[in-house]
Formats: sequence, structure tokens, C-alpha cells
Amino acid sequence: MTPGSMSREVPLFRPLTSWRPKLILGSLLAGAVAALLFYSWGYQIRNDIGVTGLNRPVFWGFYITNFVFWIGISHAGTLISAILRVTSAEWRRPVTRCAEAITVFALSIGGLFPLIHLGRPWLFWFMIPLPNYRGLWPNFRSPLVWDMMAIGTYLTGSILYLLLPMLPDLAILRDRHIADNPNSARARIYRFLALGWRGTAQQWHSLESGIRALAVIIIPVAVSVHTIVSWDFSMTRQPMWHSTIFGPYFVVGAIYSGIAVLMVAMYLLRRGMGLESYLNDKIFNNLGLLFLTFTLIWSYFTFAEHLTVWYGNEPSEMAVFTERISGQYAWIFWAMILLNVALPMLVLSFPLGRKPFFTAIVGVGVLIGMWIERFLIVVGTLSLPRLDFTVGTYQPSWTELGILVGSFGLFVLLYLIFIQIAPIVSIWEVREGEHHLGQVRPASEHPTVETT
Amino acid sequence: MQRNEKTWLHAVFESPIDAQGALQKLTEYGFDSNDIEVRSSIPLEGLYPPDLHVRSHVPLMAVLGGIVGGICAFMLTSLTSQAYPMETGGMPIVPLPTTGVITFEGIAIGAILTTVATVLYECGLPFFRMKSGPLDHYLAEGQIIIAAFMRADEYSDWTSKAVATKRQGPHQAEHTP
Repeated sequence: MTPGSMSREVPLFRPLTSWRPKLILGSLLAGAVAALLFYSWGYQIRNDIGVTGLNRPVFWGFYITNFVFWIGISHAGTLISAILRVTSAEWRRPVTRCAEAITVFALSIGGLFPLIHLGRPWLFWFMIPLPNYRGLWPNFRSPLVWDMMAIGTYLTGSILYLLLPMLPDLAILRDRHIADNPNSARARIYRFLALGWRGTAQQWHSLESGIRALAVIIIPVAVSVHTIVSWDFSMTRQPMWHSTIFGPYFVVGAIYSGIAVLMVAMYLLRRGMGLESYLNDKIFNNLGLLFLTFTLIWSYFTFAEHLTVWYGNEPSEMAVFTERISGQYAWIFWAMILLNVALPMLVLSFPLGRKPFFTAIVGVGVLIGMWIERFLIVVGTLSLPRLDFTVGTYQPSWTELGILVGSFGLFVLLYLIFIQIAPIVSIWEVREGEHHLGQVRPASEHPTVETT
Repeated sequence: MQRNEKTWLHAVFESPIDAQGALQKLTEYGFDSNDIEVRSSIPLEGLYPPDLHVRSHVPLMAVLGGIVGGICAFMLTSLTSQAYPMETGGMPIVPLPTTGVITFEGIAIGAILTTVATVLYECGLPFFRMKSGPLDHYLAEGQIIIAAFMRADEYSDWTSKAVATKRQGPHQAEHTP
């Protein structure tokens, strides 16, 4: 390694070797916001689901909107990282770890929402493939059971896909801490977490084979997850849900919102941790172009989805469509179009717009826009169901708002804790990239020798 | 001489070229591949003793795991549906399209778990009793460690050669017998 490479790694090790006041303060603030989720949830459990704004016919409100939103966010990491790994995109190296961490935390939070929505979360085990006390098994024909299987698979795969390539980095941290003070708490923790990784030729060969295999497996799993989430809707006969393109539409939307959160997270990491040399302008430019591509694909799907409904002119579908275009939901629908279509196209089409700050701004806009999209799908249809004698409205209560805000706090908290445990940029992958580029010192140094 | 009377001699190298040279010398001096260990903080293509067989069964095991996972998932859905047949209005009790969704997830989880288990097995992990070597902190700095397992009476000779190398520079080392 060059001395330049070593000094470049300093910001990466900083939060892993000493307590950083900014990170601790940030964690405390995020923890306070996350507490709102648990307080609101506890309040709901104590007082029952009636404290929410859910009613007949709007049985799914903020909770399912948030569920779809967070599952979508989870497509930021594992899927994008796997695609970039499979295609051997060299610029992926500093991005993969921070993206994969997003997946794990977003998926965990997304998975909470069906439990929150249950009202009685202790009954969630009825969904697990175990016979309950009446000898009944879950109904495997139900998309809700598919959901659980798909999310369970994706979460397991994503956690392992995050942890497996992290072993060599944890070993680097172990060796550093042992050299400093072998009896320190950090040395003991990393000795445990590294699982005894030594970096032999056989270990590297097996690890690389494993990462490649996982990358290939995880791509169809990620696609299946959001497809199955979309089937929760499209397998019903509800207007504007019963659509054949809902699967790919949801997958595209998920990747779109995933890239948005990745841009925001990368910008904050770059600014907050001084990672400008890793998360450089070139990476933002490349991801910005990918972002723009998904803007166009998502816009195309949205147009196709609405055009067929409008052209079909089926009364129950038109009722939902009209409410969305010019009725009570029109202002948020057009806000969504502004944030998801106009803003990204206007900003990302130009090289200046693909600079870190602007991509982060667009990312925030798209995140809001994509949350609105999910709200319109869930609430827009349920308030105007096919049987029009049950038309209703929906107003979220403070409990639902608290849980929504708290979920963001929980996500930030988990991410900040992760930053203080593991390097947010994969050290060995970046070093490997430098090695491929020939940025290693020529053979001129003398060996150091010792015996055991 | 008994194996437990042998000892490891560790040397640190800055670059793969240096390490490759050292590896070549050790092989020329007749060291067995099992008595040489190369360790690094990044994967280095081809930097291991020539007669060491580095191989991985991960792809094969992933396929096998996927098959087993798929069969288990299919059995789960079909057998449980038949164990307590619900009224489906004349539709099949075990419809293949919906069973296919669960089977797909079973294939995926089977392949994922088998992949990770195979990697851990091939890497000999977890190995919590592993003791760090005296130069392991150099690994953290991106350097390469080559360790040779040798008889106790040999290592002083090798150490002196290596120290000579350190003092006199790499060109001298190449000519050191």
C-alpha cells in the first residue's frame, strides 16, 4: 500500500478506534426520535388499533404505505451492490458496504410494519409455517404468506451478504486493536466478530466464490420481494390495483427510491466523515446517471399504468383515477410528479446536477415523492373501493404519524451504530481495486522477519 | 524430528512481487506447500505455493442447497395443504403457480444458507481460539505475510539469512544461498 492509501484510510478508522462526540450526539438524537416509534406503538398496543385513523373501507393506511416504502428503500443496497458486483463495475468498491447496510436496516424496519399493523403483534407467529393450536397451517395460497417468505429470505440473504464480505475488514480491525492493546474491549469484540479470519489463499478463494454466488442468488430474490409486495395489491379486484404491470412497476419504484436514499446517505457520509476521497464526484456522477435512467423508467411505467386506466374508462377505476388527477388527492399526485419526474430530469440531466449536493437534494425529493406514490396506491384505492356504497376517507392519527417519524429515527440510529462498529467503506475491496490499478509500492523494501 | 518441535518463521513483504520471490525461494529449497502459509489483506491471484490446491466447492454446493431448499419448500406447501384441505371451490388444493412462489423462495434460501455454510467450512471458520501471529498488525496495513514451518535447528539459519537480507538489501538476498 502507498502512504497515500494509508492516510486515505484514516477517516474510515476514526469512528472505529475512539468515541466521536458528533456521532454519539447524532445517535442520541436519532434514538430520541426512534423512541417516538416505540412510544406510539406501545400506546397503540395498550389502547388497541382504534387509536389509528384506520376505518372501513380504508383498512390499510400509513402502516402499509410505510411497509411498502421501507421495503422499497431496502432495494438500495443488496440489489444495486449485487448488480455492480456481477458486472464487475470497478467504481462500486466504496459504495457497496454503505448500500448493503441500508438494505438490512430498511428491511428490518419495513418488516416491523406488518407487526404494528396487526394490532396484536404477539400473534404474528400465525404466519410462520407452524401448525397453530387448531392444527391449521398458514394458507400458502395467500400473497401475505408469500410476503413473509420473501422478506424472510431477502433479510437473511442481505444480512449474510453484508456480513460475509465484512470478515476481512473485521480482521483488519482486530489486528489493529490487538497491536494497540490486546486486552482492550474493542480488541476482544473484533476478535469475536472476525471469527478467526486469517487471510490465507484458501480463505480468499472461498470468500470470493461465496460473494459471487450470493450476488447471483440475491438479484432474483430482491426482484421477487417487491414483486410479491405488489401482488398483495394486484391479486385483489380493487380498482387501479388489479394490474399486470404492478410487479415490474413496484420493482422499478423500489430501485428508484433505493438509489435516492443511497445518494442522500452517501452525501451525508461524505460530508460527515470526510470520505471525499472514497465517495468522489465520479461515483456521484455514475450513480446520478443511473438515477436519471430510473427516473425515465419509473415515469414510463407511471404513464403506462394511468393511460390504460383512462383509456379503459371502467367506472370504478375512473373514480379512483379522477380523484387522483383532479380530486381530493390531486395536489399530492402532482407534487409526486413534480418530485419524481420533473425535478430529477431538470437537475440530473446536466453534469453540474450530478454533483453530490444536487444529487442529494434530488434524492430527498424522490424519497418524498415515492412515499406519496405508495400512499396514493394504498389509500387512494381503498377510499374508493369497487363496491361504492362503502366509500370512505382516511385521516392518520398522531400515533401513525409518530410511528412514521420514529421509523426514520430508528433507521438513522441503526446506521449510526453500524458506522461505529464496522468500516462503512469496504477496506479490502478498495485496496484490491488499488492493487489492480497498480497503485502498490514497487519491490524495494526489505522484509521484516519474526519467529513464533 | 517431531512436528511439535517445529516453528513458524514469519516474514512481512510490502509488495506481491517481493512475496512471490520469497515463495519461489522457499519452494526451491524444498518446503512442502503445507509448511508455507501466505496471508494478505486482499485476495492476490496466484500468490500461493504452486503445489497447493486452492479450490472451492461453493458453486456446486449452492446448486445442491437450492435443490434441497426447493424440495423442502414444495413439500411444506403441498403436504400441509393436503393435511388440512381448505374449501377451494373446485380449484386445486395444491395449485402449482402459487406453490411455485414458495418453492422459489425455498430454492433461494437453501442456496444462500448452503453458500455461506460452505464458505465458512472451507475457510475453517469460526475459529475463535486462533492466536494472532507476531506480525499480524502488518496485515492490517496492507502488507503480506509469508510464514514457513521449519525445524527448530533450521530457523536460526533462515533468520540470519533474512536479517542479512534486511541489512544488505534485496539484491544481496537474491544471492544468499
